[in-house]
Amino acid sequence: MAAVAGAPPRRADSPGWVVVAEQELRDLWIGGRGLALSVAFSFLLSVIAYLVATNSALNFLEQREAVNLTLQVAIAVGSLLALLVAADCVSGERERGTLEGLLLAPVSRRQIAVGKLIAAASLWVAAFAITVPYVWFLGRGVGIVGDALWTGIVVGSLLAVTLISLGLLISIFTASNRVSVSIAFFLLLALFAPTQLPSSAQQGWAGELLLRINPLTAGEHYVGKIVTNAHGWHEDVSWLISPAIAVVLSVVLALGVAAPFIRLRGGVSK
Amino acid sequence: MSLVVDAQGVGKRYGSFVALADFTVGVDAGEVLGVLGPNGAGKTTAIRVLTTILSPSHGNFSIDGVPHTRPQEIRRRIGVLPESAGYPERQTGEEYLRYHARLHGHSRASAAAVARALLEEVGLADRGRSLIATYSRGMRQRLGVARALVNEPRVVVLDEPTLGLDPAGQRQLLANVRRIATERGAAVLLCTHLLAEVEENCSRVLILNRGRVVIEGTVSEVARRAAAPRSGRLYVPAEHEERAKIALAANGGVEDVQRNGRPGAITVVLTGPEPTLNEAVRSLVDADVPIISFELEGARLSDAFLAITGSG
Repeated sequence: MAAVAGAPPRRADSPGWVVVAEQELRDLWIGGRGLALSVAFSFLLSVIAYLVATNSALNFLEQREAVNLTLQVAIAVGSLLALLVAADCVSGERERGTLEGLLLAPVSRRQIAVGKLIAAASLWVAAFAITVPYVWFLGRGVGIVGDALWTGIVVGSLLAVTLISLGLLISIFTASNRVSVSIAFFLLLALFAPTQLPSSAQQGWAGELLLRINPLTAGEHYVGKIVTNAHGWHEDVSWLISPAIAVVLSVVLALGVAAPFIRLRGGVSK
Repeated sequence: MSLVVDAQGVGKRYGSFVALADFTVGVDAGEVLGVLGPNGAGKTTAIRVLTTILSPSHGNFSIDGVPHTRPQEIRRRIGVLPESAGYPERQTGEEYLRYHARLHGHSRASAAAVARALLEEVGLADRGRSLIATYSRGMRQRLGVARALVNEPRVVVLDEPTLGLDPAGQRQLLANVRRIATERGAAVLLCTHLLAEVEENCSRVLILNRGRVVIEGTVSEVARRAAAPRSGRLYVPAEHEERAKIALAANGGVEDVQRNGRPGAITVVLTGPEPTLNEAVRSLVDADVPIISFELEGARLSDAFLAITGSG
């Protein structure tokens, strides 16, 4: 035992959230979970791309619509993967018994939450990177690749960060990991449900309001306007109001309000 | 000398349920304090409060002079092995220690050096690059002890460190605990169910029951104060049994004398601590009664524990 107790406490050379994020990224990507999810995502996207390319070749689908459909699936599924990782990040550690060790480190709970949020967001970044060649392949020749990609990254990032923050929020307050992941999955389904309504239900002021207040449907609608209808980015920018409000609200809720409540026991009672 | 751990009237309640009440304790540097108590006595709550995992409902405490209102500063000064600690299966032991060293402010290079040194110290140097998933229970506990030392803590808190270990593993881990106190000079709080562990390794002991400290002192003090009534099992040659009984019965320090099974075996109930024991033995010597053996009951920590907590 060479060292002697009482050495002056160190000040970190890297902020705590950077250290947490680095380790979480390593666990996610080198541990294999991120890689497995990305492989599954690229398989799904390959199937979608094959189907839309076939339909496009047979003139059942406009080339722009093929790109739009692929991009919308990429945003939805990429966000879902990031959401599921976020929903596991506190409740999962709690169940595996590793949370106490982390809480004993001289790092604030907010910094722990930020580190975990960054790691979960990396899955969306990877999903988008996988999407790029598919969009390029489907959209080449009609000059929409650039527009599709920037719209996809902006809207997708707004939605992904919103969902990751909500996943983190759920994970902080739920008593078990299974409940956390189930609620997160249900939340995503609920948010996507309006996209499955018949088009007649999406007409009129009530239908449009329903689409506009839901950040997911509003964001995807905006992507559709840019990619399919070749609108300029500013023409339908009002559709981005609810995704923008949602991202600010969810980040403030998750990091500002909920993060200090990261505790050994889930739930809201103690 | 100022106390490294200084808790005054600390309590924790959940609604109307009192998990810990008026917890007052002081621990010096280099001291090993055993924290004992039956299940649900409040040991883990006390530890979680002192290690800032839970905030106290009332009372004050300081660690190395840092008040409990600055939990992050306290966490820089403590090392903890929690009860039933989990370990990330897909990390290696070295990676795990490096991570925690960095959380405690080490640079990448110094975190790597600290991790290697600690693995060596707890006897895991040859398994540092193996995944934790491949570690045995004993290896994980040793890794946990190493994790508790990454920040050269002033206070080390070990909650049931030998739980689930085989005797060799227990011995090895307790040797580490003693070295933490003697060589590192850290104050150690050893929370355990195993009374023998406390008797062998702790300079002082504290017994909790139903959320309250019921007794505190050195092991012998606690045993002496708590373990009344005390009795002894006396063995004398069978032909001297009656003479022994008469001599003991005439002694004021002896409350009761009874035959205990086979001839020559006598149970002696004493009225008080050591002086009455000495007097009882002296009365036998004076009566010329040869003593084969005299075994005192109620002098061990286990007797005190059972007497205090009513677990017997």
